[in-house]
Amino acid sequence: MNKQTITIVDYGMGNLWSVLSALHYLGYNPKISSDPDEIARADSLLLPGVGSFRKAMIALQQKGIDQAINESVQIKGRKILGICLGMQLMGLSSSEDGDTLGLGFINSTVDKFTLDEIDANKLPHIGFDSVRSQPGSRLFNKLQQAADFYFVHSYRMLPTGLNGIPATCHYGIEFLAAYEQDNIFATQFHPEKSQTNGLILLKNFLAL
Amino acid sequence: MLKKRLIFTLLYQHGQFMLSRNFRLQKVGNLQWLQSNYNFSHISYSIDELIVLDVSRGQKETEEFYTALKKLSEGCFVPIAVGGGVKTIDTARNLLRSGADKVVVNSALYEDNNFIQHLASEFGQQCVVASMDIRSSPDGSFQAWSEYGSVCQPKSAAYWIEQVTQADVGELYLNSMDRDGTGQGYDLRLLDLLPINMPKPLILAGGVGNAAHLAAGLADPRVDAVATAHLFNFVGNGLKQARQALISGGVDLPLWDVQLLEHHLSDLNGQKAMDVSHD
Repeated sequence: MNKQTITIVDYGMGNLWSVLSALHYLGYNPKISSDPDEIARADSLLLPGVGSFRKAMIALQQKGIDQAINESVQIKGRKILGICLGMQLMGLSSSEDGDTLGLGFINSTVDKFTLDEIDANKLPHIGFDSVRSQPGSRLFNKLQQAADFYFVHSYRMLPTGLNGIPATCHYGIEFLAAYEQDNIFATQFHPEKSQTNGLILLKNFLAL
Repeated sequence: MLKKRLIFTLLYQHGQFMLSRNFRLQKVGNLQWLQSNYNFSHISYSIDELIVLDVSRGQKETEEFYTALKKLSEGCFVPIAVGGGVKTIDTARNLLRSGADKVVVNSALYEDNNFIQHLASEFGQQCVVASMDIRSSPDGSFQAWSEYGSVCQPKSAAYWIEQVTQADVGELYLNSMDRDGTGQGYDLRLLDLLPINMPKPLILAGGVGNAAHLAAGLADPRVDAVATAHLFNFVGNGLKQARQALISGGVDLPLWDVQLLEHHLSDLNGQKAMDVSHD
């Protein structure tokens, strides 16, 4: 019935098992791969990840995965969902561990929440928090306009200067919780860890 | 606004899930027992996070634990923090590959700050949960205990808590050994050991007997999350009812609609069936 090949990009950083088990639950049978050819061939890519931005970019570059993702997304127009660090990697650059360039799909930089911004809140930002999505969002189809998702992060993007559709969360400051533009999708939160709210979002992405 | 969290902690030893009372362990049942008495995949919709600790002393059967973890994490779509004797990067990596999202460290906190730093630089600070077991002395002071509550650390608990909150950890799991498994409610005195303006999220554990205890923990603004490890107090629908009681009592827990997913999936599948019939 559903013939799309879904590949979860494996660059050695991230809880692939969680994403895999969420997709299995939804009836999909994705591949986990670090092979650039396989990644470039996939119909849908998932780019999960936790950890350091710099290490992640180095890992992507060493294996030639960054080019495979570029080919798939920029040339072939295949869809991609970046999750947590995966979303940040899709930004222009990050100031974590010194400045590092990202994949550049999202026109925003990644910086640590400043103490001024978070206004007496704690860091990391850990736990379920309310995400405000825009009407017409494909990712948030069927979900309430304020729905709870699980976050765990200290770095953030800001929802300014973007051409696509942002979803936002407030943690002392309004930051970018999710993003979609054409075939580019990203969530700062973990849909695979956000109960049925996250499963619905993953299903929305895969059903596109 | 960031939501409060309700966390369920499972204690694991050689294939069995355990009940702990003042750190003395009692076997309750294996994974099958857990599935049939907790219908785990269902009950996991009533918690915000799961913690699994391998509390077996001495030699651990790690492969067996990883397998149990994988089984547990299937159909459980909340974050899972896992620990028990984690003292190497390899152990942490194996846990993270077996379904864990975060790694819980305890005894290593007192021994090896390099290891904690290394862990954080490898997986990120947000991936490290510092677990501390605190016990009161007859003179009313509090101490931190390591190695499953068998080794008393010199200096006060407040000293160690301060040290740990400065270390490269993402959050703090504070467990009362005095109340552990007693069902008498949290030892809220532990909160007075925290530094003022505690910079990191705090999970309070040890002593829960009922939903009112969970509510009492969450009512304190210093508490971000409450945990219970009591397998008998919340058996059957216990967690679901406790969660409902907390929400109707005004606690700001996250919300989700399990039925919405089922409806959405059947709608999409219906559409797909129609698409196919048009071909």
